[in-house]
Parts: sequence; C-alpha cells; structure tokens
Amino acid sequence: MRALFRRISYLSNRQRYLDDLESEMRLHRELRLELLARQGVAPDEAALAAQRRFGNTTLLKEDFHNMLTWNLLEDLLKDLRYSLRSLFANPLFASIAVLTLALGIGANTAIFSVINAVLLRGLPVSHPEQLVYLHVEPGQPEGYSNTGNSNSSFSEYVFEQLRTEHQALSAVAAYVPLGVNKIALRVGPIPEEAAVEMVSGDFFSGLGVAASCGRTFNPADEKNHAGVAVLGNAYWNRRFAGDCSVVGKSIYVKGIPLTIIGVAARGFSGVEPSPTDIWIPLQITPALNAWGNQQKGYYEDPSWWCIRLVGRLTPGATLQQAEASLAAVFQRAAYEHLGGKPKPDEQPRKLVLVPARGIGPDGDYYKEPLYYLFAIVGVILLIACGNVAMLLAARSSARQREFGIRLAIGGSQNRLFRQLLAESLLLSGAGAAVGWMFALACSKVLAGWAGMEANLTPDRTVALFTATIMVLIAILFGLAPLLTVRRAAFGLALKNSSANAFQEKSRSRTARFILVAQVALGLVLAVSAGLLTRSLQNLERANLGLKTDGLLVFGLSPQLDAPSDAKAIAFYSGVLNQLRSLPGVLSATLMDNRIGSGWSNNTDALLDGKQPEGKSAAMRWNSVGPDFFSTLGVAVLEGRDFRDSDAANSPKVAIVNETFVKRFLKGHEVLGHLVSYTSKTAFTIVGVVADSKYTGVREDPIPMAYFPFVQVGFVGEMQIELRTAGDPYALLPEVRRAIARSAPDLALLQPMSQRAHDFSITQDLLVSRLSQFFSALAILLVASGLYGTLAYSVSRRTSEFGVRMAIGCERPQLLWMVLREGLLLSALGIAVGLPAAFAFSRYLDSQLYGLRPHDPVTFGVAVVGVLLVCLGAGFMPALRAASIDPIRALRYE
Amino acid sequence: MQPTAREEIPQGTLDLLILKTLDRLGELHGFQIANAIQACSQDVLQVEEGSLYPALQRMLLKDWLSAEWGKTPENRRARYYQLTREGRKQLARELTRYGRVSEAIGRVLEPA
Repeated sequence: MRALFRRISYLSNRQRYLDDLESEMRLHRELRLELLARQGVAPDEAALAAQRRFGNTTLLKEDFHNMLTWNLLEDLLKDLRYSLRSLFANPLFASIAVLTLALGIGANTAIFSVINAVLLRGLPVSHPEQLVYLHVEPGQPEGYSNTGNSNSSFSEYVFEQLRTEHQALSAVAAYVPLGVNKIALRVGPIPEEAAVEMVSGDFFSGLGVAASCGRTFNPADEKNHAGVAVLGNAYWNRRFAGDCSVVGKSIYVKGIPLTIIGVAARGFSGVEPSPTDIWIPLQITPALNAWGNQQKGYYEDPSWWCIRLVGRLTPGATLQQAEASLAAVFQRAAYEHLGGKPKPDEQPRKLVLVPARGIGPDGDYYKEPLYYLFAIVGVILLIACGNVAMLLAARSSARQREFGIRLAIGGSQNRLFRQLLAESLLLSGAGAAVGWMFALACSKVLAGWAGMEANLTPDRTVALFTATIMVLIAILFGLAPLLTVRRAAFGLALKNSSANAFQEKSRSRTARFILVAQVALGLVLAVSAGLLTRSLQNLERANLGLKTDGLLVFGLSPQLDAPSDAKAIAFYSGVLNQLRSLPGVLSATLMDNRIGSGWSNNTDALLDGKQPEGKSAAMRWNSVGPDFFSTLGVAVLEGRDFRDSDAANSPKVAIVNETFVKRFLKGHEVLGHLVSYTSKTAFTIVGVVADSKYTGVREDPIPMAYFPFVQVGFVGEMQIELRTAGDPYALLPEVRRAIARSAPDLALLQPMSQRAHDFSITQDLLVSRLSQFFSALAILLVASGLYGTLAYSVSRRTSEFGVRMAIGCERPQLLWMVLREGLLLSALGIAVGLPAAFAFSRYLDSQLYGLRPHDPVTFGVAVVGVLLVCLGAGFMPALRAASIDPIRALRYE
Repeated sequence: MQPTAREEIPQGTLDLLILKTLDRLGELHGFQIANAIQACSQDVLQVEEGSLYPALQRMLLKDWLSAEWGKTPENRRARYYQLTREGRKQLARELTRYGRVSEAIGRVLEPA
C-alpha cells in the first residue's frame, strides 16, 4: 500500500525525488574523496577513483526511474502506439471493423438511453430514490368521480389529511394540470399554449428543486392562492432564451394576469413524463380550476378525485413502512364523506407508494416494446462482434508469419499477446467512440420520431453501460489472439504456408460456426420485423368506422369573464358558423373528448331509467356538436344526425351505435327509448349509427351513446373537427385568422389532421419501423460477414482452384462449389433459426394486431428473404473463383 | 602494505548485508552502510555504489526501510536509513534462507 503511494507521489514529484537521489550520491562521492585524500591519494586520481566506483550516474538514475514507475503502463502505451501503426497500415480492415462495432455499440447505446430515460433514471432532484408517487388501488372509492388516471387521483381533502402525516414521508406535495391539454396563455401580444400545473406551496421545497432565477413557491403562496408563476427551465430557455429578466413580467393564463417570480432549476420540468412549462400555486378562482373543469371546484367537492400526489420518504423509511403509517389516515379521509366506511360489497381501497423512476408508472406502457428493441440491438451487437471476430481471425492468420518471426528473434509470448490485446482494445475503443456519436444522433431522431416526452440525452449510467460493452468486447477479442499466439509458438508459422492447412481448417471451422449463428439470429430478427410490419399494416387498414382523410382537428378553450354554459354555447355556435362559411370547409362539428386521443367518458348505461340487464352495462359516451356523424363520415343507419335545432331547451335527444343496440335492445324498436349517463336527465334515442373507434384502433366494439353538447352542459374546452376539401394543414392559417377575428387571445390547441393523430398507433409505428431498420441492418451485417468469409477463403484457395482447373474442372463447377458452401451455411443457419424465431415471436403476441405470432406467411417471406440475401452475398466470391486464371493461380504461392 | 584482495558482493546477498548492517548499527546513511560492510568484512567485500543506491530505493519501496533526511556530524545533509518492522521480518527470512543455502553448498563441496 505504501509502495503505491510512493509511486504515485513519485509520478507527481518526480524532480524532487531525482534531486534527493542526486544529492545523496554527491555526498557519497565527497565523503569517498575525503577518505582517499586522508589515505594520501592525489586529488585528481581520487576524483577519478570515486567516479569510477559509482559508474554511470545517468544510467543509475534511469534505473531508479524505472523502478518507481509502472513498466506495464509504459509498455501498454508502446503497445497502443504500435497497434495504431499496424491498424493504419491496413485502413480498410480497421475502418470496416470500427464501423461494424460502432453500429452495434451505437444501436445498443441509443436504445439503452431510451430505457434509462423511460424506466430507470431518477428525477433531477436531490436523492431522487426517496421520491414516490402516491397511488390508490384500484381507484377512488365507489360513489366518487375522478379526472385523470383513477389510480393516481386524490381529492383535495384527502391531500390535506395526508400532508399532516410526517412519520414516514417528509413531504407530500400536490400537483394538478389546469387542463387535459395545453392551456391558452399570453406573455405579450401573441397567444400561445403551454402545459400549466397548479402545485402546493411545498412542491419545490419538498422535491428539493431550487430556482435558477428568482424564487420558487412557499406555503404562503398556496395559502393566499397568490397570482404568481414559476417557469419550467426548458420552457424558459425555449421561449425566453434563458433570460432572467423575465422575472417580474406578467403572464396571462386563460386571461388571468399572474406575475412570474422565478425559474425552476436546470433539467427540472415536473414529475410527469410530459414536461410542465409553467407552475402556479393551487388556485381557488373558477377560471383556474383543476383540469379546466366547469362543473365543480376541487376545493369544495370532496367527491371529485383529481389531484396527483408525490411524496418524499424520510431517510431510512421503506415503502412498506410508509404505506403502513399512512393507511389509517388515508382510510379515514377517503370515507369521511361517505358515512365513514366502505360499502359492504366494495373492494377495499388501498394507498400504494410507487417509486418515482424513469417516466413513472406510465413507463410500464413502453416497457415491453423497449425490452423487445433492447433484445434486438443485443442480437445486432452479437452479429457485429461475430463479423469483427472473423475479420480479426483472418487478419491474425495472415500475420502468422510475422508472429513466428517475432517469437523466433526472442519476443516473449506474453508481450506478443499483450500487443494483440492492445489492438483489440483500440478497435473496441474506437468502435465505442464512433458508436457513442451514432447514439447521440440516433436518440435525438428517436425522441422526435416517437414524440416521446422524455429527455433522452445520455447520462453517466449510459456512459457506464457503453464502457462496459466496450471492455467486454475487448476481452472477448483478446481471447482470440491468445489462441493465435499459442499456435504461432509451435513454430509452424515460419514453415511454408501449406503447413498451415491444419490451422486454416480450424480457423474456418470457427468462422463457419459464427456464420451459422449469425444467419440464425438474422432470421429471428427478420421474422419479428415481418410480424410487426404486418401487424402495423393491419392497424393502418383497420376499419375505423369513419373517414379520417381531410379531417382537421384542434382544441379551443373559451376565455370568458364569468363562465356560463349559455355564454360558452353561444361562443361555440359562433365559431362553428364562422368556420362553416370558410371556403374549403365542407362541414364543421365539435366534441368533448377528442377521438383517438385515448380519453373517454365511461359509465354504466341507464336505459329507460334503469341499468340494462346482462353481464355488463358499461357504455362509453361523448358530448358532441351538430352534424357530428356526417362530418366524421360515420354512416347513420337509422333515424338522424344531430342538428343545429337540437338546442339546450329543446327535447333531449341521443344517438347510439350498433353495438349498443345489439347488446341492450336486440330485436326491439330502437328509436324512442330513453338513454342516459345520469339519473337526472333522460335522452330520447333519435338515431343509430355504425360502430366507430373512439379511444384508439385497438378498441373493441363497445356500446356508445352520443349526446348534444348543448344539452349535456358544463361546456369547457372542446375539440373542433372540420371536414375539408383538400389538405387539412393547408387550411390551418385561414382557420387561425378566422378564430383570431372573434377571439384574439385564443390559441388553437394541438391542431393536427385526424390522420396524423393516427388513432394512438404512434408507438406501434415507431416499434415496427425501428424493428424493420434494425433487422435490415442485421441482415446487412450477416451478408457482409458471409461475403467476407467466402471472399477470403477463395483468395486463400487460389492455388487450389488453379490446380482444379488445370486438371479439368469446369468454371460453372467452381462457381457452384463456392456458392454451395454459402448456401449450405445459410440453410444450416435457417434450420437453427426457425425454432428460435418460433420461440421468440411468442413474446410479441401482445403487440400484434390481427395476426398470430406464428403467422406462416411472415415466416415464409423471412426465410426466402434471408436465403436470397445469402445467395447474393455468396455470388460475388463464387464468380471470382470461377474467373481465376489457372496459370497465374499456380504461380500464386 | 599489500592491499587485501577485494571481492564483489555475491548476487542476491546485498539486501541481506544492508539489512544486517542496519540491524546491528541502527541509523546510517548510504556511505556509512557501504563503509560498514567493507569494514566488517575486513575489506574483503566491497559495495559498489552503483548497486547500493538502487537497492536502498527498492527496499524503501518494499517498505523494509524508512528514510529521513538529517545532518552528519560535519553538518552535511544526508539521508539516514533505518529498519522497519517489515524489514526486521525480512532479515529473519533472508537469514534462514541464507543459512539453508550455504549449508547446502557446504555439503556439496565437502566430499571433494
């Protein structure tokens, strides 16, 4: 241990150590001189004698230097330098090997950085491992309503009770969005939209998030419902170019003026996956209600569960302890307004703590496809390593002679091995460096492509991951040279190359083994990519029950001084009339929940005043505008569409879908029955429409009822849907101008063509495209490996082919000989790969739509595809073998 | 006066000699060590300075010796070496080894 310190201290104080030694030896010489003088030797002679006895002092100091430094380190540097030279001497080999490795490592790094961001990484706060989301299983107590995910929503009252419990949680902070979507706001003359959240006063202090500029909230801000705002760091950088002078400016959220008091710390954009742009303290004014709700205030109504909670465990507390200590408080608070206890047949409600990791509980949604992609890139890395291993093996067998000579003139095996190891370290290092750059570019593209709202920039965990891969690869490739060196030591290398036949055979046996494995892996990837592609085709071709082409959809949120249904209805009627008159707009309507967004109203149906009999009375509903079905292109099978004349005070009407009729009114006259989502009002059925998808493509047919929004009431943000004559996006500027004429402060929220919304299959799209890309990459690598091996073996066997030709072998026969070798290998690979693909595809089952995981068409196409590619790869070397000139070939040796 | 025939120190025994000298005489600087070995061997063994100092450094590194800068009686700066606990253990080990080897050599030579 002390020796290590001395070495390190020597490295940093080298001059001092040498000076010490110098002065020590000078003293020695002087003392010797004096001694000799006392013995009567002449001074000149004495000096010479003293010097002689010391010998070469410079050499001495060098010895000393060597003793105190790591020879190993210096040797390693020398090895690296030498390897660099030898790699540069063969730039084609080096660049192919580095690029191949870079592809493999880069793909792994990119996918891992997504996994890290989505599933693993903690929030950018101090001690992120202490943060937990508060959840309630299986949802709010019966009899209560909820907005948001029922698992993650609480009432304001329950929050107030939970926050007083400090034994296991040092803080419980609340946050709730101002709306389902982004919120209209204005900082200056031009309206825009942003994600706005209301939070409790201890939100920032509880999470441990400081301010970049100004300050964050304090408990007083919450108590006074202060008109202040804190900006998200990313939003601040984007919108205000990171300028701190924004603090003190006014911001109009839904028309209400607030003062910006600060900016959150760098990297912090909320605790949910979708970044928050602006935080304001919990508000009490109806205009700034939770979720933009118009019906009930979250402060007054303990039955409305809508607030999300995040907590910090006290150091040392476990999840179970914390859950136990909160259980009693939670039960009391949850049922306080329900007579104190659950209904007799009610499933018990439980407070659960979920660690805040990655993008939180939503990460589960991405888990399966991500692990699938991770498996795929892992396979790619294997294939890439196989290729490079074959390259290395070919190279070192070509260098047998060099090794033989080096050993023969006294190079140690150890040193030779170290040098080869340095070479593979260099290769894998360069591969990792280039791969890292690939990954950086890739993850940016990925993030944009997926519309995934998570920060994908690689962090330290990702770097560690990549470094680990690099080292593993280096060690793996280091083992190959070990064998080479051992073989070279037998001294065969210096003999004529025909003596190498034996070694050559074992080398090519290894190469064959690798190739078969590669083809098998390539087939597995091809099959899974094929399955996902066909599944995506099914999703895209799925009958949605409506015509998406030419539909433009966007949200509007009216900013009214004193919100009332009458005013909101008047506003929307005005907007609809205005939009209908635009040239290019064929018809216009609106709806509460945007179709394809995943949001829906779910309840038990009431038919003629009571729940219909049968297994399930579940029904989805939506409140919609006039001409809804003709605008969306949904067939009206019986009765009529909604009309402008269905006004707030005219007879209440409803329209149901086919499945509703099949399930609840089979064999009955449908029109005239009463349907409702609430016991307070009943609506007369005036029409039946064909089934159409509501939440997403994968939705199974479910009973649906539609009600006129003017008769449902509680009108807040609505989604406007326009049927246009041409390209929906081309109409967007005209629509903006029209809206601005009547409401200058209003932004169009998330405008897009209904087609682009693609009915919630963005993820399928992404996974399938990535899978296609990766399997193409894999097949390319396999093909290049096969090509390289065959080409190499043809070049090694040039003289053999020459002899064969000389004794009468025809060119087509030679062509077939080489081609057959390639085909045999691929056939073997396919034989191994088929069962593997069969086993692997089962894991894809849950992601497939409209086909079985063992789809024979996909398997057939994949097998034929892989065979064709292998045939193509083998053809060129085969052609070369067939075109060998026997005279030159025989002189080849 | 006929000078005594001087011998180089046999390979591998320099460490042993240095350790033993320091063990007997305590704190010494390099020149004193060389002189002491020469004197004790009655001028037969002569320490080459070229091998003495590297040996001292090596032993410092192995933690057998400790060194400290001090002043000679003539008030000159010198580095004084001293045995450590580890060094004493090493001395014991080397003595045993040396005893075994010289005994063995003796047995080989005796019958001749």
